Amino acid sequence: MPVSNVLKEPTIFETIINFAGLFGLLGVIALVIVIIFTSEKNKNLKTELKKLQRAFDELDGQAKLIVQTDLELHRAQEELDKKIAGLVTLQKLTRMISTTLDEEEIFKKIDEKNLTEIGFDRAIAFIKDEKNNISIKLSVGYTIEEANRIVEKMMQHPLIVDKIFRRSTIFSSLDTDKTTKEIPEFLHALEIASFICAPILQKNGVLGAMIFGCESTYTHLTEGDKDLVYVLASQIGQALENAKLFEETWRSHQELELKIQQRTKELTQALEEIKVISKRKSDFISAVSHELRTPLTSIKGYASIVAAGKLGELPLAAKERVEKINLHSDNLTQLINNLLDISRIESGRQELRLEPLNLKNIVDALGDMLAPPIKDKNIEWLVDIPADCPAVRADKTQIERVFINLIGNSIKFTPSGGRITIRAKAINPEMVQIFVSDTGLGIPEKDLDKIFEEFYRVDNEVNTKVKGTGLGLSLVKYIVEAHKGKLTVSSQYGKGSTFSFTLPKA
Amino acid sequence: MSLLVGVGISEKKDPFLAASEAANLAWHQIHHSKKIDLALLFSTIHFADKRLLEGINYTLGPVKTLGCSGAGLISSKSVMKYGVGIMLLSYSEKIKFGCGAIADISAKGARMSGDEFARQALKDLGTTQRELALIFIDGLLENSSELLRGIKDVVGLSFPIFGGSSADNLTFSKTHQYYNNEMFTHGLIGAVFSGENFFGIGLRHGWKPLGRPHSITEAKGNVIKKIEDRPAVSIYMDYFGKSREEIEKSLIRMSIYYPLGLYVPGESEYLLRNSLRIDADGGLVCQGDANQGDDVRLMMGTKEWALDAATQAAQEAKDSLADRPIKGALVFESISRNKLLGRLTEQELSRIKDVLGDIPILGICSYGEQAPLKSLEHYGETYFHNETVAILAIGEPHARI
Repeated sequence: MPVSNVLKEPTIFETIINFAGLFGLLGVIALVIVIIFTSEKNKNLKTELKKLQRAFDELDGQAKLIVQTDLELHRAQEELDKKIAGLVTLQKLTRMISTTLDEEEIFKKIDEKNLTEIGFDRAIAFIKDEKNNISIKLSVGYTIEEANRIVEKMMQHPLIVDKIFRRSTIFSSLDTDKTTKEIPEFLHALEIASFICAPILQKNGVLGAMIFGCESTYTHLTEGDKDLVYVLASQIGQALENAKLFEETWRSHQELELKIQQRTKELTQALEEIKVISKRKSDFISAVSHELRTPLTSIKGYASIVAAGKLGELPLAAKERVEKINLHSDNLTQLINNLLDISRIESGRQELRLEPLNLKNIVDALGDMLAPPIKDKNIEWLVDIPADCPAVRADKTQIERVFINLIGNSIKFTPSGGRITIRAKAINPEMVQIFVSDTGLGIPEKDLDKIFEEFYRVDNEVNTKVKGTGLGLSLVKYIVEAHKGKLTVSSQYGKGSTFSFTLPKA
Repeated sequence: MSLLVGVGISEKKDPFLAASEAANLAWHQIHHSKKIDLALLFSTIHFADKRLLEGINYTLGPVKTLGCSGAGLISSKSVMKYGVGIMLLSYSEKIKFGCGAIADISAKGARMSGDEFARQALKDLGTTQRELALIFIDGLLENSSELLRGIKDVVGLSFPIFGGSSADNLTFSKTHQYYNNEMFTHGLIGAVFSGENFFGIGLRHGWKPLGRPHSITEAKGNVIKKIEDRPAVSIYMDYFGKSREEIEKSLIRMSIYYPLGLYVPGESEYLLRNSLRIDADGGLVCQGDANQGDDVRLMMGTKEWALDAATQAAQEAKDSLADRPIKGALVFESISRNKLLGRLTEQELSRIKDVLGDIPILGICSYGEQAPLKSLEHYGETYFHNETVAILAIGEPHARI
């Protein structure tokens, strides 16, 4: 049978299948396209994600860098803050310490509060004497017994002793030298996490040491802390030195004060004794003078009678002798009268009759009285008392004696052709000052202090020739002082003298 | 009678005399009021002695006292490293409070202690409507979040709890809590207050995240065991390029400047965690807890951000009191902030006073802070915080009848 070339018509089912196949094929193609497309997108996404991840990791890496830098910054900042806070407290402490002059008080300033402010929790301070005896001066966070034990233990370590006491350097838990091996044991003894031990320095060497400690392991000590403790310990050393000096000065001052008090007491006693003796002396002079004056009056009386020839003419030699007796009796009477006056004024028995006095009138009257010897010696007599010079309140008789004595002395020591000047002026609302000046012999400087002493006579040619009692100026002094005035003298040897005295205004 | 708040500070060396002086000064500020309802006592570690409490008792007579030791003392005048501060509160009879105290948290466990404290305080308070719990807890407690959970078990999740973790002088050896005439070292003490909206809370830290987010892949309570399947300590090792031993030596210090931040949905700031130590497996032991799956970031702070945060916290506390006059404030400032700010610490206080005004302020530099988060997602639930400044503004109360 021949092969037929005729194609069979496809059935509906076959047609559907064919179409489905076609669409399937198209679907597959589309799917493949979508898959390819999605895969591409995923690939892109993955790439983007990877990029993102990388950027994220890089950012995280940068974050790591930031925190590491920031940590260092924090550390530096923390150190700086601590240093500033420490310096502020150090300045406060230094001020307190430097103004304290009591050894115990100096150490008391480092109390728990101040210690906390400079960043420490515990402290021990001790000093040692020449015999190496330890004395605990400060103990914060330890009992005295504990502090003693710790210091004793510390002193048994030659390396530590050498470092602090011989080399005057700091020993601390930060050290990395040969003392490092000592640190754990020391920390254990102190029961703290870190410490700084600094010498208490003085001019003569190391007096003791201070140990400052931190309890917290989270407190980090720095080199700055070491400097701070070193400065503080040095300040304390200096303050202790100052306190010692002050104490020595104070002690010597006290001793001096005591000596002065004792000497003053002795002097007061001596003065009282002198007063008693002086009174006895005055009483004695007064009594003796009275006793002498009575017979002297008789002697002078009889001598006058004999000298006057009332009992018959005397031979010339006898007359001369009797006249001498008469003259010396006058001198003796003068001496006794002066002594009696001094005694009376000194003992307060001389009653002053105070009244207003015109100085010019007194001086003029005395000028008339003393005119003969003045004229005899051709002395110029000048009175410079202004009309408005205030009157003085004084005893007329006594003030005349003052003038007579002073002017008498001037006449005596002023050579012919010299000058005597009397001046007076008010020196303040209460007092008037009177000057008696001459151009006489003058008084040597060495004698100026002594001329008012009783019986003192300046050694000069005039005094050798002319007899005197040595009581005139003493009497003047007593009289002026009895009037609440003051007697002074100024003189230039060979050029003259000026005696001045003050008297109260009327 | 309106609310009276007075604060006294002393630096006298003897704890008895210091407490006595501070109490007298505070008493003077409340015009020698015969009715002293509560004394809040804070001191630096130097004064942690029972004689402190005797000093208050001697000066004021028996008065309910709550407080704790801190690494620093904050007052209206300054932030001190050494001192004692007392805040005296004299309320109208419309305010009530109940006290509670757990002497040794470790004996009972943190959660149980929280639970028992809350029950004690509520029992003491009675049936009045409660407003806020004020707590002071041992700052060395490793899982304070667990303790908070115990309190929340009793008072409810959304009940506001405000408090601070007591501190010492950074030795991390012993902190103290003061409760009437007693002094505890591992305690939880505090009070639950009644009244209406007389407390305003503000909370901010200012730290910002750094680097990429990491995921906590294993956590157990307060221990972050693994981050991205690696021992958690590796986060510090990576960022600081240091060995584990080196990190171990400086962990607390490092963690103060660079805490871990947990992302909290809805909150503007991350929840911060300080790491206390590294456990045997390289896990980071924190003061507060963290959860598996949480996003964790390394955080970084600057002085300016920290100061801005103080302003924001104070503003938040002020805003919470609406238009009520502010009579005083308690401030718990993390010691970490104090360290970060250094000499600028006083500026932080100035920022707070700029917002709150010249009011009596008292507080401590703490080892942790407890305060509620405010976002809706958290329904005002209280969390444990680190590196934060937490402010409790005390306003003139409106009594609930």
